[in-house]
Amino acid sequence: MLKKVVFVLILGFLLGGICATSFAQKTVTVLGVWGGEERDAFLKTLEPFEAATGIKVEFTGTRDLPAVLTTRVAAGNPPDISVLPNPGQMQELAKIGVLVEVGKFLDVGKLGKEYAETWINLGSFKGKLYAIFLSADLKSLVWYSPETFADAGYAVPTSWDELIALSDKIANQGKSPWSIGLESGAASGWPGTDWIEDIMLRITSPEVYDKWVNHEIPWTDAVIKRAWQLFGDIVRNEKYVYGGVATALTANFGEAPNLLFTTPPRAYMHKQATFIKSFILRYNPELVPGKDFSFFPFPSIDAKYGTPALGAADMFAMFNDTPEARALMRYLVTAGAQEIWVAQLGKLSANRRVNPNAYPDDLTRKAADILSTAPTFRFDASDLMPAAVGSGSFWTGILDYVGGEDLDSVLRRIEATAVEAYKG
Amino acid sequence: MTERMNKVLSRGLLHTFIIFIAILWLVPTIGILITSFRPAQDVASSGWWTVVGNIFNQTQFTLRNYRIVLSRLGIGRAFLNSFTITIPSTIIPLAIALFAAYALAWMRFFARTYIFMIMIALLVVPLQMTFIPILRIFNRSNLAGTFPGIWLAHSGYGLPLAVYMLYNFVSGLPKEIFDSASIDGASTFHIFLRIVLPLSVPIIASLIIFQFLWVWNDLLVALIYLGGTPDVAPITVQISSLVGSYGQDWELLTAAVFISIVPSLLIFFGLQRYFVRGILAGSIKG
Repeated sequence: MLKKVVFVLILGFLLGGICATSFAQKTVTVLGVWGGEERDAFLKTLEPFEAATGIKVEFTGTRDLPAVLTTRVAAGNPPDISVLPNPGQMQELAKIGVLVEVGKFLDVGKLGKEYAETWINLGSFKGKLYAIFLSADLKSLVWYSPETFADAGYAVPTSWDELIALSDKIANQGKSPWSIGLESGAASGWPGTDWIEDIMLRITSPEVYDKWVNHEIPWTDAVIKRAWQLFGDIVRNEKYVYGGVATALTANFGEAPNLLFTTPPRAYMHKQATFIKSFILRYNPELVPGKDFSFFPFPSIDAKYGTPALGAADMFAMFNDTPEARALMRYLVTAGAQEIWVAQLGKLSANRRVNPNAYPDDLTRKAADILSTAPTFRFDASDLMPAAVGSGSFWTGILDYVGGEDLDSVLRRIEATAVEAYKG
Repeated sequence: MTERMNKVLSRGLLHTFIIFIAILWLVPTIGILITSFRPAQDVASSGWWTVVGNIFNQTQFTLRNYRIVLSRLGIGRAFLNSFTITIPSTIIPLAIALFAAYALAWMRFFARTYIFMIMIALLVVPLQMTFIPILRIFNRSNLAGTFPGIWLAHSGYGLPLAVYMLYNFVSGLPKEIFDSASIDGASTFHIFLRIVLPLSVPIIASLIIFQFLWVWNDLLVALIYLGGTPDVAPITVQISSLVGSYGQDWELLTAAVFISIVPSLLIFFGLQRYFVRGILAGSIKG
C-alpha cells in the first residue's frame, strides 16, 4: 500500500509537474481485448495514472478487437492506443503508416535495458519502434500435481525420453497420463499449435524456426513433419490421452486441466501457458498454487537445442499522436505500472525491472524467471504468421491431423494456403 | 361418430406435435436458466441436466452469478443507454417507413416503382459492408460516438424491411375506403392520419417488436459507431465485457442474458396480441 502511494506521488510529480494544466479534462481512448477480471486489473493499473495526471482513460474491451480495430482504422477513427492481436498485424499496420512511432518520445536506450532485445525487435518495423509489450505468457510449461506425482512415485521428467517413459509407465498402470483439450470455439485447434511450436524449438535451431515463421522452408519440410509426428505420438495415442482423440478434440482448453484435480485423478499432465493458472483456480478454488498444482518446463528433445522458452504477449501501439496518449504509453512501459498489472493476474511482465515480489505467488515468479533467463526465446509462431495460416489453416490442420487425417495431406494443405498468404 | 373421433384424434396429434416442438425449442433456454443459478465449479464439471433429477436440492444453486453481473455491469447506466439507443432507433425508421409506404402505394409520382425497387434491393446489402464508409461520414460530421449517429445508422438498417412490409400491407387496403374518403373531402394527409394509420396498427406493432429486438440485441453496430465507454455503452457491450479474453467466466453470461432479456419480453408480451395478425400482413394481399 505504502509502495503504491509513493509510486503515485512520484508519478504525480513527474507527469503532473511537466505538463501541469494542459492535461486537465483530457481523455485518451484505449481499445483492448480484456474483459472480466483482466479488465478490472487493467483499470486498476490505470488508477495511479489517472490520479496523477487527471487524464481520463476511456477503455473499451472487446473480443472482436480485430474486426473493430480494422474498421475504425480504415474509417480514419482509430482509438488513441490499442492492443494489437499479434506482431504480424503490427507489421501490416506499420507498413500502411497508421501507427505512431513510439521510439520518437520513449527513451529507447532505457527500454533496451529494461526489455529483452526480442521484445524490442518484435515491436519494431524497419528499425523503428512502434509497439510496446505490457504482459507476457510463457507457453513451454507442463502442469501437474506435485502431490499426486509424489503419491504415485512419478518423477518430473527432464528430457523427452523421460517424458515418454513416464507416459508409458502411467499408461501401463491403466491410467491416462495426458489431458488434452483443443476446443476453443472458432479458434479451436490453437492449443495444438503451441505443442508444434515448442517441439520445433527443441528439434531444430531458432534460425530454422524463424525460417518456418517466414515461410522460407515449406510446411512439407522434414523437420516440420517430425515435429507433427512427435506431437502425434502423444495426442493420437489412445492410451496416452484421457478419453482418446474424441475427448482431445471436443474438450475445452480451459476445462481440460480440471481432469488433473479430480479424485482419483483422471489424468496427470497438461501442457498449457501460464494464463491457465487462473482457470485452474477458478474451477478449483480450494487448490494452492505450488502445492496442489505446479508446472515443469516442457522438456528438451535434442539435447543440443536445450530447453527454449516459447511465449506470447499483449502489445500496445499508438494511432493518434496526442500528449495524453504519449503520457499513457510512457506510463505503461514502466516497471511500476506493470507491477500493478501482474499482481492482479497470473500474467508475466516483459519488463526485466519488475520486482519479482510483485508476482502473486512463487509459481508465477518461477515462470517469470524462466521467461527472463531462457537462453533462447521465441514468440508464438502462429501469432507471427499471416492470419490465413496462423489463425486459419494451422488451427484446422491440427484438428484434421488429430482427427486421424494423413499427415502429408494435412501439411500439403497448409502449405497451399501459406503459398497464397505470403505472396503479398 | 367416427368423423368426430377422427377430428379429436387429429387435433390431439396436432397438439402433441406442437407441444413437442415448443418443449424442444425451450430446452436451450431452460439450460441457460439453470446454468445461471449454478456455481462456476459445477458448471465446469457437469452439465445442467444433472440437476434436473434433484431440482429441489437448494444447495446446488447460487445467486452469485447474478450478484456479480449486477454489481459489475453498471446496470442502471447500461439499461439507460440501451433505451436511449433503442427507442429512437425504433420510432424514427417506423415513422419514415409509414409515410414512405403510403406514398409508394397510393400516390402517383415520377419513378415511383424504381424508387421502391431500389429500396427493396437494399434488403440484401449486408450491413457489415457499410461500416467503413458510414463511419467515415460520421467522423466528418462529428456523429461518431454520439447517440444521434447510431439512431441514424439503425434507422437506415431498419428502413428497407419496414418499408417493404408496410407497403404490402397498405397497398392491400381496399381502394373504396380511399375513394369515399376523398369524396367526403379528406386531404391526402387526412386520409393517412385518420384511415391508414389506425388500420395499420397490427403491422406497426409487429414491426416495433422486430426492430426493438434487433436494436436491443445489437452488439457490433454499437461497438463500431458508439465505442464501448461506460457513458454510451449499451447493455450488450457491457455484457460482452464480462467475459475474459480467453472466454473465461462465461457462466456470468447466462445470468446477464436473463437480466437483459426483460425489456424484450415486456415489449413482446405487451404487443403480442397484435403480433400474430401482423406477421401475416405482408404475406397475403386482401
